[in-house]
Amino acid sequence: MSLINNAFPQYVNNNYFIGEKMEKLRVFFISCLLVTMAFSLWAGGQQEDKMESGTKIEGLNSNPLSDFRVRQAIAYAVDMDTIVETLLEGKALVADSMVPNGPWKTPGLNAYSYDPEMAKKLLKEADWDSNYTLDVVFYYGDQLTVDIMTAVQAYLSAVGLKMDFRKLEGDLGEQLWTNPSDPVNGPSYIKWDMAYAGSAALAMHEYYGKLPTNGSGNSHTPSDPEIDRLVAATKATANIADQQSAFFELQKYVNKNLPLIPLYYQQLFIYESTRVNRNGGAYGNAQYKYDWNILNWSVTPDASGKEVLYTNTAPVEFFQHPWFNPGIFMYSKVLFDSLLVADEALVAKEGQLASKFSVANDSMSISFTMNDAKWHDGSALTAGDVKWSVEYALQVPAIHSVFATTFKSLEGAQAFIDGSADGISGLVIEGNTITFNFAKLDPNMMLTFSQFPPLPKKYFETADPLQFQQNSFWQNPVGSGPYKVQEVQMNDYTVMVPFESYYGGTANIDEIVMYPSGENDGNVIKNASAGKLDYGFTKSVADVKSLEAMGNMRVTPVDIPYTRLFYVNKFPKP
Amino acid sequence: MLSYAIRRMLILIPMLIVISFFIYSGLELMPGDAVSYMIDPEAAAEISPEKLDALRDSLGLNDPFVLRYVKWFGGVLKGNFGYSLSSGVPIRDIVFDRLPATLELSFIALILSTIFGSVLGFISAIRKGSIADNTLTIVGMLGVSVPQFVFGLVAILIFSLKLKWLPVGGRLMPEYVTYWDRFPHIIMPALVLAATMTAGVMRYSRSSMLDSMNKEYIKTARSKGLPEWRVNLVHGFRVALTPVIVLVGFRLPTLIGGAVVIEQIFQWPGIGNEFITAVRGQNFPLVMMIALFSVFAVLIASFLVDLFTAILDPRVKLG
Repeated sequence: MSLINNAFPQYVNNNYFIGEKMEKLRVFFISCLLVTMAFSLWAGGQQEDKMESGTKIEGLNSNPLSDFRVRQAIAYAVDMDTIVETLLEGKALVADSMVPNGPWKTPGLNAYSYDPEMAKKLLKEADWDSNYTLDVVFYYGDQLTVDIMTAVQAYLSAVGLKMDFRKLEGDLGEQLWTNPSDPVNGPSYIKWDMAYAGSAALAMHEYYGKLPTNGSGNSHTPSDPEIDRLVAATKATANIADQQSAFFELQKYVNKNLPLIPLYYQQLFIYESTRVNRNGGAYGNAQYKYDWNILNWSVTPDASGKEVLYTNTAPVEFFQHPWFNPGIFMYSKVLFDSLLVADEALVAKEGQLASKFSVANDSMSISFTMNDAKWHDGSALTAGDVKWSVEYALQVPAIHSVFATTFKSLEGAQAFIDGSADGISGLVIEGNTITFNFAKLDPNMMLTFSQFPPLPKKYFETADPLQFQQNSFWQNPVGSGPYKVQEVQMNDYTVMVPFESYYGGTANIDEIVMYPSGENDGNVIKNASAGKLDYGFTKSVADVKSLEAMGNMRVTPVDIPYTRLFYVNKFPKP
Repeated sequence: MLSYAIRRMLILIPMLIVISFFIYSGLELMPGDAVSYMIDPEAAAEISPEKLDALRDSLGLNDPFVLRYVKWFGGVLKGNFGYSLSSGVPIRDIVFDRLPATLELSFIALILSTIFGSVLGFISAIRKGSIADNTLTIVGMLGVSVPQFVFGLVAILIFSLKLKWLPVGGRLMPEYVTYWDRFPHIIMPALVLAATMTAGVMRYSRSSMLDSMNKEYIKTARSKGLPEWRVNLVHGFRVALTPVIVLVGFRLPTLIGGAVVIEQIFQWPGIGNEFITAVRGQNFPLVMMIALFSVFAVLIASFLVDLFTAILDPRVKLG
């Protein structure tokens, strides 16, 4: 009896076996139960053997999506190859991992290629309730998203999965990413079953940041010690080979269990008019900053002999600060320099604002010696500006998560955030050298230093960091890059001209004229057709088709780390 | 007349208060707030609720709804229209920066459409049944039924991209000095906007003129031996203009927000686009200010329509 009590404690309290008189019958029941139990264990083993992928079913709860077989069925049920070829016009790649193709992707992952029969089989094994309707949400406002949702709905319906979809409105952060109060058992705070979203990563770690227990934004995945261990392993070393190895293991586990379902890798398309010559400048992820040789770009001169480059993303209301999007806007790229500069693969390669730098052997410290850079107002850019920028950045509402992680890893950062210290003790200035001392290893610190631009302290000294973006500085910012703002007609145009005191020399193009047209709006095609757009980038497949058809434009596709996926809510729902 | 005008102006005040409260309440009913719009959904996952709350606090978004309205309205009474929640720029600066662009576009379109619509409607009426009348009727129907964006895109295709006569969009360029430098930019948007507005005015003008031509006073004028042009223009057209004036009057408020589609197609940096962005972003100080302008324009237009109707039509008495 004690064996039964131990194995099935739920049975103990209901006196199931407390018979009154028939000991033989009791023994018979026990025997039957033991036989049944033994058979179940054997059958379970057989079932596991039959499973082509996945591990034993752990963490099952009242939410049917907590069963990995259901998630696998969803992946098998959707024909992403066809969706990519048709709706995305072949301008994307089918994803089998969050990590994009390249050195960080492990080989041998299950691609979950379209197999509706396998999907049906898995759903049957998981005892899927065909009356259940999946609630799928998204937050994009474009027609393509609705088309993709409609296609997914049809594919799922074909294997017996009902699905409704809706666009979230209002406080998206709360509705998408609020963690449950109990990260193990839930219930979830969020209401949805699956969320269609995009993950644009600067560092590979960002792809899996929402999976660990209490991970920021983990609204959907119950605590899984194996995920915690694997994610921690990716952050435990600054050695690239070791990081890659850790990512391989993590990808394999995620590929088997599908806590989230990768759909496709979005590509980025850089378009340039035939007037533009990069003179050897590299093509890379245009959403971030890298060495693209902008100083030496040239444009066919106009009648007056002036080289004018027309581009888009001029500010409409204000210049967006570069601490959240360091390079997505043309102005961010050319107005602000960083301590280091990255190559087109976003790997830090040499100093930019730093004339030299040195990293400690254990990667727990890095020193930068500032060059003689000046702000666009002519004043000197100092190590003090850098220190102030890091400290101020930790107080503003939204900065890039990679930057935040780096700065929070500094010695004394937590005390500064808590308010118990006036500054970050890990930031040490000696003359024109600033040293960053870390309390814990940050594998992405070089990435941070090649993307994070310091800002001039004097313009913000009395400003409330909470209203950083609302500061009047962002109406006409003073930067440190090769171009400076000459004229701003907000929502009309912005003109930038070479900064004559730039430490790297004077840029070749005489003027950069920016229109407020955004990355994906319809004016891109009109302006390009009219010869008023020389450079830009887009992820809109419809625009790419039109741009490719223009004789005066050339389009260069670039693989970027941008994965579209379904986040899957696996917590019991309230 | 004067006492009527004063009375009407005084009524504006409580109307503005009530309407502004309703607009404010409507904004309150929208899901989310300005902060949820400012923060990218992906970034929102990385920001602690405490930090978001502090941001809301700093923008005054955590105050109770009524308190926020009272604070805002109190500011307006003192001439402080507040600051944009997204950019921190004074609302007054934004409105005075964007409004001229919209008024410039809309006034030209309104004047053109009123003149052309009235004249063409008049011609159509006095030539009823002729080829000119039928042609204008068809053109008018097309003008009313074809969406503005179709007109706009076709115009860009022909005049900007094919013929290269006019710029594809925008309003200002760095090298412009005088108004005439930038004049080519307004031709297409103003004409496209005017074309769609003309059709409506023409239909009104025609039917009103036809109605007027059957009236007794027209017959009386003819019986007095007045020349036909004088009968039509002075006695017929003048009275026929009354409903046209009503139509044009009620179009005055749309000068502020009625050119949104045209502004978007022609990249015209007007207040219409600003309003849409502000509503989406729940930038309530800006929404309220633009909405107040619109409400004020509606009320003033209504007053002016009454006034002009009385002037044009001797049968109407203000009281």
